[in-house]
Amino acid sequence: MSIAALAPPRSLVAELTYRCPLGCLYCSNPIDFARSQDELTTAEWQAAFAQAAQIGVLQLHLTGGEPLLRDDLTELVASAHACGLYINLITSGLGLSGSRLAALRDAGLDHVQLSLQDADEAGADQVAGARAHRRKLEVARTVARLKVPLTLNFVVHRLNLDRLGAMIDLAVGLGARRVELASAQFHGWALLNRRYLMPSRAQNDRAEALARAAAARLRGVIEVAFVRNDYLVGAPKPCMGGWGRGTIVIDPAGRALPCQAAASIPGLEFANVRTHPLGAIWRDSPAFNAWRGVAWMKEPCRSCAMRERDFGGCRCQAFALAGDPAAADPACELSPHHDAIRAALAEPSENVEPVYRAARASRAVSVARTSGKN
Amino acid sequence: MERRELTSPHPDAARWRPRLAAGVRMRMDPAAGRALLLFPEAALELNETAAAIIRLCDGRHPLAAIAGELAREFGADAKIADEVADFVAAMRARRLVE
Repeated sequence: MSIAALAPPRSLVAELTYRCPLGCLYCSNPIDFARSQDELTTAEWQAAFAQAAQIGVLQLHLTGGEPLLRDDLTELVASAHACGLYINLITSGLGLSGSRLAALRDAGLDHVQLSLQDADEAGADQVAGARAHRRKLEVARTVARLKVPLTLNFVVHRLNLDRLGAMIDLAVGLGARRVELASAQFHGWALLNRRYLMPSRAQNDRAEALARAAAARLRGVIEVAFVRNDYLVGAPKPCMGGWGRGTIVIDPAGRALPCQAAASIPGLEFANVRTHPLGAIWRDSPAFNAWRGVAWMKEPCRSCAMRERDFGGCRCQAFALAGDPAAADPACELSPHHDAIRAALAEPSENVEPVYRAARASRAVSVARTSGKN
Repeated sequence: MERRELTSPHPDAARWRPRLAAGVRMRMDPAAGRALLLFPEAALELNETAAAIIRLCDGRHPLAAIAGELAREFGADAKIADEVADFVAAMRARRLVE
């Protein structure tokens, strides 16, 4: 790819910490997150934000883990705001008091995306592995009271999809401007729990129809966005809008990644913002160039009319299910590995033990992988 | 155009003073030298006319005054009032302007 043709990154996802009070079954953090303990300092994050703004980043998504566990969050927001970045806080809400939110807002926070696990308290707390739902509802009311624009995000799956209508009603009642009903993406912890979380096709179809009807009925009141389950769609999602095409993720220890799951692909080396300028990482690093554009594609992607729209789907999923990160995403019906998706959909969900995201489980899985075949 | 189906007219169009919705702000893109409208999910590039209209969506100018300003700035044109109204209505349909 020539330098002249390379567009700037537009969004930066800053994973400020992997610490989190919740243990959600579908967490997008790497399974071996407990290995990463050396978090960037305040000054190191501030330098990264300034460089990001300089190379064209417009949107900053502060996430984790739970970003509120960083004591310097307000300071980080203030300096990102001074760089002109649009700042979105992606949070469980736990630890967000009215006074802290007011300080964040006054420092330049533009928007809060609050995660809820269900419309039903018992169901929500079961998925989070913690008594959290009631406190989250209080936080949502605080966000509305302080007039900070709010998006509610529900990750949806077998255990909660039948309550989709109640989730939308809850979002309307809480004054959210947008509600995202995002089908669980089967990476990391969600892949470990896939059998437990996978909805049936009939259950998913009912939910999608309900979401479509609600989106039309509530136009002008709230935006209802349903993110589809790629296992059930038969076509791949345009993952990250294309590898190295618009987004940089920085993990808590400063590694710059093309997506939040990229470290699950063996053999990729990630440059660290502690030692490398972000612009050079974006332009030159082997990890960002690995599957940029379309030249790396194999068939059936190479000659596919969709190649510039879905970018061959998800590289992490291609590795996880086909063992080859340059293969077509097996979610695509045209993929020679699509059988892996059919087989997963045929697995029964009964008698499955869920694995909660926790440091102990993370260390156990990491040790098993290091000493085992993988 | 689909916006005709999507937009319901503002209930009190004559007295409406459009302003950016909460969570929406405009800034310059230093790289492209263009105005950008930023909101949680994305950023919209604005051309010169669009940026001039958005700048006047400050909660103080009624629609007619915005069209008047635009006519002064870019040269009077009989169609400009309609174009301004259409653009602001489309922005309202996307909940970027209220």
